Amino acid sequence: MKRYDLIIVGAGPSGLSAAVEAAKRGMEVVVFDENEKPGGQLFKQIHKFFGSKEHRAKVRGFNIGKQLLEEAAEAGVKVVLNATVIGLYQDKEVVVKIGEEIHHYKGDSVIIATGAAENMVTFPGWTLPGVIGAGAAQTMMNLHGVKPGKKVLMLGSGNVGLVVSFQLMQCGCEVVALVDAATRVGGYGVHAAKVARTGVPFYLSHTIVEAEGDECVTGVTIAEVDSSFKFIPGTEKHFDVDTICLAVGLSPMSQLLKMAGAKMEDNPKRGGQVPICDEYGRTSLPGVFVAGDVSGIEEASSAMIEGRMAGIVAAEYLGYTDEDDMNRNVESLEKALDGLRQGMFAPENRGKLVEKTEEGIDVSMNLLKKGYVADDEIERYPGVTHKVGIHPVMECTQNIPCNPCQDACPKKCISIGDNITSLPIVVPESECINCGMCVASCSGQAIFLVDEDCGDGTATVTLPYEFLPLPKEGAKGIALGRNGKKVCDAEVVNVRSAKAFDKTNLLTMRVPKEYAMKARFFRATV
Amino acid sequence: MTERRIEEHPILGVQEKGKKITFTFDGKEVEGYEGEPIAAALKAAGLMVHRYTKKEHKPRGIFCAIGRCTDCVMVVDGVPNVRTCITPLKEGMDVKTQYGASDKPFDV
Amino acid sequence: MNSVNDRNRDIGPFVPAPDDDMLICRCEEITKGEIRKAVHDGMWTLTEIRRYLRTGMGLCQGQTCSKLVKSIVARELNVSPAELEPATSRVPMRPIEMRIFANEAKEDDDYE
Repeated sequence: MKRYDLIIVGAGPSGLSAAVEAAKRGMEVVVFDENEKPGGQLFKQIHKFFGSKEHRAKVRGFNIGKQLLEEAAEAGVKVVLNATVIGLYQDKEVVVKIGEEIHHYKGDSVIIATGAAENMVTFPGWTLPGVIGAGAAQTMMNLHGVKPGKKVLMLGSGNVGLVVSFQLMQCGCEVVALVDAATRVGGYGVHAAKVARTGVPFYLSHTIVEAEGDECVTGVTIAEVDSSFKFIPGTEKHFDVDTICLAVGLSPMSQLLKMAGAKMEDNPKRGGQVPICDEYGRTSLPGVFVAGDVSGIEEASSAMIEGRMAGIVAAEYLGYTDEDDMNRNVESLEKALDGLRQGMFAPENRGKLVEKTEEGIDVSMNLLKKGYVADDEIERYPGVTHKVGIHPVMECTQNIPCNPCQDACPKKCISIGDNITSLPIVVPESECINCGMCVASCSGQAIFLVDEDCGDGTATVTLPYEFLPLPKEGAKGIALGRNGKKVCDAEVVNVRSAKAFDKTNLLTMRVPKEYAMKARFFRATV
Repeated sequence: MTERRIEEHPILGVQEKGKKITFTFDGKEVEGYEGEPIAAALKAAGLMVHRYTKKEHKPRGIFCAIGRCTDCVMVVDGVPNVRTCITPLKEGMDVKTQYGASDKPFDV
Repeated sequence: MNSVNDRNRDIGPFVPAPDDDMLICRCEEITKGEIRKAVHDGMWTLTEIRRYLRTGMGLCQGQTCSKLVKSIVARELNVSPAELEPATSRVPMRPIEMRIFANEAKEDDDYE
């Protein structure tokens, strides 16, 4: 039986991060992953991540994946793919299916980084072909280049449901509705807003009555539910769709830990059955550590930090590094992790209705119920100001841990300050040079450059645009409001693409000046 | 097989594909790209039903697309229960609808 | 002993419900009604349910339905799902052919 200093199960964001830190400290590390490719779910994430520079904010997920793979290769990490770990025993024996054979390995330490599995929800017709998990949609469109469907209904308004809805539209699918039985949008408001402004209707307090079709999905009926999740008769709505996408949460894939005899608990805040562990990922079994979603559902950004911690702690456990190195490094990682766990969506706020921002401003109830901030609500946020000439309008209305915009502006027009969750403010007396860096840097696509009065009765609005075909200068169409409904006619006056924008195109449209603060999306007339 | 394929993606650009190849689905020739999952090629060809269940004879297709749920299993080159969402496509593969655990349709 | 395992507790009779024919275990094609009935037949733990009905014993090994089954059983017993011990986890964690399962590699490190 081959022995390793450290065996890691799962080559996703946390497993690879752990491997890098452990290998750097001289450990002989092997990472087993059942998939054909490493990177876990990172390569399906095509949006820009939130956070700050240390969390690689404003970098798209798949590019973070590439960086992580390079880092792992440099550190000399051995990643074995198509290697399914089928068993873990208490003495840290790992049983792996590789090809058509069963291999046994002994790890002097083991890190379980198996991630999470999607939750499911039942309704008549839920087994029909065409009902798929949100992860399946991402896999098909972002890895294999195949559209999951033509017309899709999304169930679930958490970040996965919102992000995948946007991605479905980016690859050319139509999203007919976003549905959630909850009374409020579960994910980040900015993710919801960028979906809503394209015209996707949100149905909160609704769920699926039935998926229709004999051989595959041909339609779906939804209806409103009351406070005890019972359908309200007469509220049914029908949609012709060929695909129903389920994004109803994730559960930790912790079975290996249970098998090995680790102390487990059922913790709804962490998403289900999780090992009992300390903040560095030490489980009840000496030498067995955890990192990432397997110990509690969070984001890829936090999984990577947890992975690094677990890698360092495992190295210390076997004496590859001393306590000083461990404490020093883990402390700074903890700070980075704390940074991500701040704000309205922090773990302790899960499921709670936060009614005021940290600044004491009322949270938009429209955003929570319909996916967009209403025109009469938007003015109360500090990023929304008025001045002569082009200026940034930051429709960032919830406290989330994210600050790339303040570094993006070369003229220092935007400030968040030291508290990463503060809402961005426009720095008084600063001068916008219309470079567009803030628009492209905002992972939430919530920044617009507006010239409210061009002097000829018109205004211009520059918005982030990540769809194809990219409208050309001179294209005529309509401007949509935050709610996705037509507000006025519009003409494209400029389209900018630059390497620094990282695939976020900047589309500038001209609208009558009374719509300067209402028009937020452009749709070309065909 | 084009309209269901993403020819150009606003973020990912033009995705690289393997060699274009032919395989059979229930005896009919279908095109796909070498190395992509069998399920992706079927999806791109608009073929949704992978199997019919043993007890209720109900249709099933892609559900999780990552090899977990096993709903997309088919009979591939004579072997039943092959997870088509994680099995790479090869030239000339013989892919068949699975009925229960067999490639023989149920007696009606 | 916690209340979940107190077999003297009266959970009432099985009452049919309109959604009893809802399929829960996709692999073994077990319905919600069958699971609810099994609870009233005395199968109070997830391990018992699994052996009795084969829920989670099919190809996917409970990857899809285990959480659904747990919540149905919990509701029937009138306890919180968190109070139910999950079914045993054992090797192999993933579907695997017996011939491979029995095929021990001869070399330790021959996967490269």
